[in-house]
Amino acid sequence: MAHISPRETFDRAKQKLLDQVLILGSMVEEAVQSSVNALQRRDLTAARQIYAGDQRVNEKRYAIEIDTITLIATQQPMARDVRFLAAILEIITELERIGDYAKGICKINMMLSEDALDPSVLADLQNMADLGLGMLRRSLDAFVNHDADTARQIPTEDDLVDALYNHIYRYLINKLDYTPESIDRLSHLMWAAHNLERMADRVTNICERIVYVSTGQIKELDSTGDEMK
Amino acid sequence: MFTKLDNLMTEEKSRPPLMMPLALSQGVTDAPETNPENPNKIEINDFTLYYGKFKALGNLSMTIPKNKITAIIGPSGCGKSTLLRSLNRMNDLVPGVHTEGKIFLDDSDIYVPGVDVVDVRRRVGMVFQRPNPFPKSIYDNVTYGPRLYGIRRKYELDEMVENALRQAALWDEVRDKLHQSAMALSGGQQQRLCIARALAVEPEVILMDEPASALDPVATLKIEELMQTLKETYTIIIVTHNMQQAARVSDFTAFMMIDNPQNRTGKLVEYGPTVQIFTNPKLQQTEDYVTGRFG
Repeated sequence: MAHISPRETFDRAKQKLLDQVLILGSMVEEAVQSSVNALQRRDLTAARQIYAGDQRVNEKRYAIEIDTITLIATQQPMARDVRFLAAILEIITELERIGDYAKGICKINMMLSEDALDPSVLADLQNMADLGLGMLRRSLDAFVNHDADTARQIPTEDDLVDALYNHIYRYLINKLDYTPESIDRLSHLMWAAHNLERMADRVTNICERIVYVSTGQIKELDSTGDEMK
Repeated sequence: MFTKLDNLMTEEKSRPPLMMPLALSQGVTDAPETNPENPNKIEINDFTLYYGKFKALGNLSMTIPKNKITAIIGPSGCGKSTLLRSLNRMNDLVPGVHTEGKIFLDDSDIYVPGVDVVDVRRRVGMVFQRPNPFPKSIYDNVTYGPRLYGIRRKYELDEMVENALRQAALWDEVRDKLHQSAMALSGGQQQRLCIARALAVEPEVILMDEPASALDPVATLKIEELMQTLKETYTIIIVTHNMQQAARVSDFTAFMMIDNPQNRTGKLVEYGPTVQIFTNPKLQQTEDYVTGRFG
């Protein structure tokens, strides 16, 4: 060997772990996107497939967790390295929960009656999904690039997601005719909106961990991007 | 079991909001017998040491807190052992050494001319890398120092021996063979005997220069556990190459490096609570060293 870097093996292992986290991120992004599309089309077959696919998400998450713990035990990481591995453990938990939200949307799709759904609500749900997925994608990029500045900025977009959630709620309340069917539909659709709103919250948590890797401080980021005092 | 949880929750509710992680706050403020006026046992003040023309240590300033374990880490040749030996004037024994600056042991500079160097070395004891028991009995090893101080009565010596060996966590293993040769002990036991020997003269500070590097892992961990007990009574400073050991064992860590490849003068790069040095150091050089990316 012409030149030996002192932690080549460890650095390669960290890179592999990072790749696996990105794969997990991609899996849950796909699940959320497909679950909302399936709801739009009322495609129950697709919904059932996505629902079943959550098992692979869980397996992936646990595999990464085991590999991360192994690396901690065998490589005695310090400083930034240990913060990075600790962040992975938190981030995969958040991603797995986002996967659960996708699964929840599929279940709602399967539970809703066959009556057509209000296109305005479906459009808003799609917008919520698009916003949240955009936040998620960029947060994972920020993680790969050790970009704490972008990570601080992403939570500010949560306001838009919250606004859509409130809008859906008011719209559905106004249209409510107080029949059991109508109430049933409102509560299922609100739950779908709730899942998408929670996805954006999870992305905020991911951003907090990215900032932690850079600074060593765990601080809550509120929707203005400021660290909450 | 529920009572225990109740107690824990009561304690948790009465705790004021934490401004920093518990481990870190304990490292900084948790000092039961500290003199509020001077929490430091040793103060190194702009200290420089030359071996002849070679400047081995350059303008070091640092404090060593009482009843804590301070680790000194850094790459080979950065002056860690030189610094350690300066704390009890062992470097005086090297021809051509001269120093500038001050080192205060409890508010008195040990480099002032006329200081009783022998007394300094009694107050600041040392344990070396390779266990070096005298080729005598276990008993005679421990009583060697006290005898030099004129203690002769058997019952006094017996008591000192037991006291020192108990403090070094060796008494139970050797109580029935005190008059056997120390050379028959295992490496780990010999090192604990050397610690007992240092403790027998009632020091205030214990310097340890890589005390476990010649020992097997179990003996090493026993020494580390011993250090946790000893720090309640003594102030401990340890030089170690083993970063995981420094992280396990110490409350504060000092990271040293040479200033440049030409001069090779040892400097203090960063000093702080161990938890901070190993989880979130302030300087990139420190980060590179503790993550093993140095060089």
